[in-house]
This record gives sequence, C-alpha cells and structure tokens, in this order.
Amino acid sequence: MPKKEMPAGALVLLILRVLHSGPVHGYAIAQKIYMLSAEVLHVEEGSLYPALQKILLKGWATSEWGLSETNRKVRFYSLTPAGRQQLETELADYSRVAEAIQSVLKTA
Amino acid sequence: MSDIFRRIQYLLNRRRLDEELAGDMEFHREMAERGGRRNFGDTLRLREDAREAWGWMWIDRLGQDLRYAVRVLRNAPGFTLAAVLMLALGIGVNVAAFGFFNLIVLKPLPVRDPDTLLRFKRSAPERYAYALPYQEMAFVRSHTKTLSAVLALNTARLTMEGKEGPASVHFVTTNFFSELGAAPKFGRLLDEARDEAPDAPLVAVLSHGFWRGQFGSDPAVVGRTIRLNGRLLSIVGVAAEEFSGLSMDKPDLWAPLVQQPQIVTGSHLLTDLKEGAGVRTWGRMQPGVTPQGVEQELRYIIADFRQQHPAEIWEKESLASQPGGYAKSLMIGDRSGTGTEQPDKLYPLAVLIGSLVFLILAAACSNLGGLLLARGVSREREISIRTAIGAGTGRLIRQLFTESVVLGLLGSAAGLALGCLVLKLMMVWTGAPDWLDPTPDWPVTAFATGIGFVSAILFGLAPAIQVARQRHRSTFSKQLLIGAQVAASCVLLIVAGLLIRALDHALSASPGFEYEKAIAVMPGLGSHGYTPEQSRAYVDALKDRMRELPGVASVSATATPPLAGSNVMVVGVTIDGRHLDVHWNRVDPGFLETMKIPIRAGRTLTSSDTAGILISESLARKSWPNENPLGKHFLSGEDPTGAQVPYTVIGITRDARMDALEDPDSVDAYMLPGKDDLTKMAVVVRMSGSLESIVPAVSSIARSIDPRVHPRVQTLKGAFQQKMEGIERGTAAAAVLGASALLLACLGIVGLVAYAVSRKMKEIGIRMALGARPGHILSLVLMQFSRPVAAGLIVGVGGAAALSDLLRRQLFGISPLDPVAYVAATALFIATVVLAALIPARRALRVNPTTALRCD
Repeated sequence: MPKKEMPAGALVLLILRVLHSGPVHGYAIAQKIYMLSAEVLHVEEGSLYPALQKILLKGWATSEWGLSETNRKVRFYSLTPAGRQQLETELADYSRVAEAIQSVLKTA
Repeated sequence: MSDIFRRIQYLLNRRRLDEELAGDMEFHREMAERGGRRNFGDTLRLREDAREAWGWMWIDRLGQDLRYAVRVLRNAPGFTLAAVLMLALGIGVNVAAFGFFNLIVLKPLPVRDPDTLLRFKRSAPERYAYALPYQEMAFVRSHTKTLSAVLALNTARLTMEGKEGPASVHFVTTNFFSELGAAPKFGRLLDEARDEAPDAPLVAVLSHGFWRGQFGSDPAVVGRTIRLNGRLLSIVGVAAEEFSGLSMDKPDLWAPLVQQPQIVTGSHLLTDLKEGAGVRTWGRMQPGVTPQGVEQELRYIIADFRQQHPAEIWEKESLASQPGGYAKSLMIGDRSGTGTEQPDKLYPLAVLIGSLVFLILAAACSNLGGLLLARGVSREREISIRTAIGAGTGRLIRQLFTESVVLGLLGSAAGLALGCLVLKLMMVWTGAPDWLDPTPDWPVTAFATGIGFVSAILFGLAPAIQVARQRHRSTFSKQLLIGAQVAASCVLLIVAGLLIRALDHALSASPGFEYEKAIAVMPGLGSHGYTPEQSRAYVDALKDRMRELPGVASVSATATPPLAGSNVMVVGVTIDGRHLDVHWNRVDPGFLETMKIPIRAGRTLTSSDTAGILISESLARKSWPNENPLGKHFLSGEDPTGAQVPYTVIGITRDARMDALEDPDSVDAYMLPGKDDLTKMAVVVRMSGSLESIVPAVSSIARSIDPRVHPRVQTLKGAFQQKMEGIERGTAAAAVLGASALLLACLGIVGLVAYAVSRKMKEIGIRMALGARPGHILSLVLMQFSRPVAAGLIVGVGGAAALSDLLRRQLFGISPLDPVAYVAATALFIATVVLAALIPARRALRVNPTTALRCD
C-alpha cells in the first residue's frame, strides 16, 4: 500500500475529532483513523506520538491511566474544553478552505 | 503562558512522563504486531522525536556533551592539567586585578547602609579641599533637612604615655559609631548623650588591633585610663575587629571630636575657619533624597554661612558629594589645592594593569588554542568515525566547544583560587587594614566564571570549527595563534623590562638633594597647641641645640620635610593655558644649603626675602620656556607677617624631587614660611658623621625643650627606601607577569614544535636518507615558525610603544621608548623561545630513516 503522507495540521485535527467521541489510548486513535478513512489514512507511530505530545503541550487534551482491552495499563487521552474549542476552530477553518478549493476546482 | 507552565511541569516529571510515553509506544507496537504489521523505525529515535515537542531536548544533549567532554578530558590528563594550569595563570591574574578593583571601587564598606553615605569636599572654581572647617560642618549639621546625620573625623598623632612613637588618634563626632552600625567588643562606643556635654569626662574607644597590641587583649581594659598628650582619658570600650572606621589607616583609638581642644591644649580646631584646619565630613541621606538634592540644599546653606564668614568661606563655594561608602573615597584623605582638581591619577594605572593582565589571558588562550588545533590531529580518527555515523558539523563543533567550556570553567575555579590567594598575599604584604577582605564575593565569582567563558570562546571556538571541518591542518590559523601569543608575551616582557629599568634608574639616581646622611625631626607642634610665635621659638631652640651636637654639618627648618609625605602642598597654576602642579615648599633661608641643592642662577633666599621665591630648573623651563625667569612674578601667598604678597622669582635651583619621585620633572618652589606654616615646621639635619648617634640625642633634646613633645624622627634614607618600596612592588608584579608570559610562550612553543616534528616524520626520514645535515633538518622544523614569530614580535613592539603613554607616569626618569628595554626583552624572548623549541626539535635529529618512512 502506498504511504499516504498526511499534512501535519490535518493529523492534529483528526486526532482532536477522534478524541471528541470519548477518551481513547494512542493505538486506538491510529486504528480509528485507519478504519474510518476506509483504510486509506495510515498513521505511523512516528507521527502520532509527536502530534499527541503537541496536543498535550497546548493543553487541548489530558492523559490519565486506564486499562486497555488487553488488560494493560495504558494512557487514555481525553479532550479538554480548550481542545473542544480548538477542534471547532480548526473544523471551521478546514471547511472554509475545503469549500474554497472545491469552488476553484469546479469553476476554473 | 500556560504553555510554559506545562513545559516546566513536564521538565519536573520528565523521567516518569518519558517512561509513560515509552510504555504507550511499546503497547502500540505490540498491538500493531498482532495486526500483522512490522517495519518499525528505531525505537529510541521515535521516542526522541515525540519528546521534541516539549522543547527540552537541549538539556539532554548538553548533558550528553558534558559527560562526553569530561570523559575525553579525563582520558588525557596531561593535556587537561597543562590546559587548566595555563588558564589558571591567565584567569588568576585577571581575578586578582578585578578583585582589587572590586575591593576598592565596587564593594561597599562594612558599615550600615553604605549606599546612603556621602562624602563631602569643599569645591570652588579655583580651589578644593577634602576637609571642612569644623564650624562649617556644624552649620551644615544644624541646618540640613536632606541629611539625617552628619559625621566628621579628624586625625592626629599624639603622644601617649607608655607607647613608643606617637599614637594615631581619630577624633570623631559622637554619632560616628551608631551611624555606621558599629558594635563594641567590650564596653561601649561613643554616645551623644554622655560624651557631647562640655563637662563630660575625657574618654577613648580603643581599636581592636591597638587593644591586642598595646593591652595584650586584656578583657578588663574598660575603665582603665590612658595618658594622651598629658591628659587622662578613660577607656570606655573596644571596637569590634571588623569595624572599618571610614579611614584607610589603622587608628589606635577614637575620641570625641568635641574633646579635641581639651586633649590638644590650645588647639583651635573647633573654631578655626582657616583653610587647612578641618574635619573630613560625611552625611547620611534621608530616604528618597538624591545626592543632587543634597548638593542643591547645601549650596544654599553654605551661601548663608558665607554671609557670616565672608573672608573664610570661598566665593561660589559648594560642597561636592561623592559616594562615601566605598574604600575609594577613603583613599583621598585630606588633600587640598588650588585650581581645578587633577583628574584621578589612578585611572591610567588601572588601564595599564588591565591591559597587562588581559595580555596574559590572551597569551594563555592563544597558547591553548594552538594546543587544541594540534590535538585535533590525534582526534582525526574519532572525528571521522563520528561523522560517518551521522554527526553533523554543527553537532561536532558543539561537542568540541563543550570540551573547551569545561576546560574554561575548570580554569575559572583554579584561577579564582589563585587570584584570591595572590590578592590576599598582596593585602598582607602592603599591610592593608583587616576589613579589606579579599574573600571572593559574588561579583568576583561571576567575573571569574564569565572570564572562563570568554576564554573558552577565545581559545576554543575557532579550533572547534577547524577540527570539526577537518581543516586543522591549515597552517594559517595556527600561525595566527602563534603570532598572537608572541605579540602578547612580547608586550608583557617589554613593559616588565621598562619597569625594571626604571626601578634600577630610580634606585641609582639621586633625587637631586642630599638624603643619605640627613634626618628630619617632626615635632608636630600644631597638635600640641603651639601658636606660631611659640613654634618659632621652639624650632629655633631645637636648631640651636642640634648644631651643638658632634657630627652635625648643617641644620635648617622646612614645613615639608623631603620624602616624608606629610604637609605636601600642591598648587595648581595655569600658565599660558597649560596646567602645572607645583610642589610648594616653605623653608628656612639655609634649607637649600643643608639639603645641598645648588643655585643655578640668581641668588638664594635670605631672611628678608618675604616676597621672594626660588623655582627649580624644570619649573622655570615649563613656565617661561624661552625667557629669563628671574624677576618675574610667580603666584602669591602669605608672607611671614600674614599678608598676601605676589612672589618674585629671585633664583633658580637645580632640580630636586622633594616628594614626588615618580614625577618626571621636579616642579618645586621654595619660599619663606608664612605665619600659619610655623606650627608645621620640621627640622632637617645633615650629618658629617654617623646617623645612629643622633636619633636618641634628638629625643632627649626635644624633651628638654618641652617634655610634652615627642618628635617623629626619620632618616631621609629610610623615607627614600620606603618610597621605593611601592615602586619595587609594582616592578616585582610586572616582572612576575613578564615571567608568566615567557613561561606560557615556552610551553606553547614546545607543544607546537613537538607537534610539527611528529607531522614531518616521513619528510625528515626521506631527507635524512638522502643525506641532509642536522642543520637543515632543524631549520626545516623551525623555519615554519619564523614568520609568525617575526610578525608577533613586530606587533608586540608596536603594542608596547602604544602603551607608552600609559607607562609614562610609571617610569622614573627613563623614556617609555627606552631602546635597552626593547632590545633586551626581545632578545630574551627570542633566545628563550629558540631554546625551548630545540628541546622537542632534537627528536627530529634522532629519527631513524627506516622507521620514519613507515610512518603515515
């Protein structure tokens, strides 16, 4: 399968969106994105964790201990109010840009 | 803001959070493997990338670099030791110099609130004085609103029963101790309520040193009495050891200023408004007041005071203030003069010392830089391996530079210890007061650390870049370093040579008068309450009795005994726009004959020359370059009747430096004493026989005239040697600096030549196999140093010449371009360096051609 490089900003947006539906651990985030994108978007370990660290640093998410489905102690990430705010802003920005691109593609 | 907060929180829990992240990633990997995926990157690398977001990676890398640097330096103990020693020398002399500056200028005195203390001087457009008449001080004290306290101090040398030599007494205002926050060791200190009243008993507070020396640290000393100038004083307390007392000298005891006339019978200190008499004065600023505000207020107060005393208080007089809580303000003492005050004489000396010690550092750094470059060769393998496994140039430079910083900091620590030790020894050697404590405080420590960093940049950065880029074989930077080192060492050696020459000259040259067989007898009549008339009678009696002694050739009197450093009067004159400082000497008509100073033109003084003045040849030349000075009017002053007269030049004397040996020219003027000078007169005696016999005789004669008076007797030879001591110390310091430079230069050259030989093994082998003679081999090795050494010598000689303006004041009678010093220093340098170079170069001659050819 050819590797799809995701723009850095987009990955943060996707992670925030995944976290929106409830606390998840790192591997589950990657899995969800993979499944929901119909196995197109593959998030590598090497880009997921730096993005998560950035989200933690910005205070958009917090982490706490939980048990995974295999009964292992892992960290679950959950959205903070600031993260919710950020998600809304980024979604709005994204739609505006996407619409703009669409309109150029349609009319040009 | 909260980002930073979270970053810090991360930093504090870094170990735990890193482990958690690692756990997450491991779990991720396990799950992915179950899903059948492989092909992961390097775990450590991935983890590092993730952590990067927090922005603390530099700490880890710094830690790595430091650990590695320490390991590398530990593995090369010889190199590390040599480098640290060089740096300790270079940094140590800088720390010592800065430590001294810190002690005198930056560090406040150990008194309460030093920052709010101001020291005052009288200042008018045409004159200045550092002592205020007592009444002027008292008037300020009672009228000021901007000062919360006024402190005053007057020093005297009085006769104390049971003590050899005079006792140094400081008369102080009674608030002196409480204002300075001093605590007694025993008893009490002075107290306004008890000691200020007119009928208060006479009291004294002993200094700690005096108590130890004179009273054997007797704890029961409080309540005992001492006899000072014949008056009984009771000891009320002993001051604590660390009390500085606002003076650079070490007073024996303190007494209330208001009791001065009772102890010194007949003294007019408290009522005399004449210039010359007075007290050193400090003020304590009210909170929120600036020194400018104080000066402004005092200007009005002094103007009011002048209304009452128009003759004594100067026109347009003001009290100029300067920060009073620093040792620097104490060094001035009681100076006074006319004309504008000479700019700080210490300044050129400070610049000179600063440049010399910095040159030592520069020599040490360029030396070390050369060694680091040479070391780069032995590290080629290590560098190329590290490059091969992916270290970038930037990373390598950082690593190599970190090593230099570690060296620099080790050098700082060693230099700090060495510098403070030197400073401490200097303090002991010069007999500085105990409260001048050279233990390093934070400015000195910060200075040492800072200079360690600066030197790391100086010696480490360029070689780090060269070595990391594998360009350390380039000869240019190496030659530059050698040149710089030679230049710095050369300047130091030339300056040391100049100072040694000057000392030699000063020691062998005569100051221009007879000092070897002369003594000065200083009765200090003023501090025994003598009137001018009584003084004249005393001095005449003393002279007559001395003349009768066997072995006495000539006797005379003067207000300023030569070389004694007391009562020196410097008068500033402006002639055709040039400023001249004249040493003003009030003398008996026979003084020049006693001191054997011949008259070059005109005639000598007679007792009727009340308006006549004699000037030295140099002064005549400076004042009237192309004219005959005889008959000209020169300055004015008080004649023996007390009237102001303009002086007329009646004679020119040969140059004689009566006090300032360090002045290149003698600028002395002699005239008969005025009325006020009589109480200061000293008697000078020239002997034909031995000096030893006369000193006890003087004491018994003095006692037979007035038992209260114990004159200070000094041989002029002793005074001359004492003056020379300061010069000798300076010269010794310069010689030590010069020797350090030479040592550094030798170490550097030895290292570089050894390196050059090892690089040229193969070439030397081939040449020897082809029959080259040893001389050729030697010149092959040494010639590559000839150009940078020559360039360094030229720059060094030029640098020394550029310093000549600063040196001029420190040299005694020799030119700052003295060829002997230049040639000798340069020759010494070349000879030493060549000898040093020959030691490693001999290796080249012992090379076995077959072995050498196998070298890479």
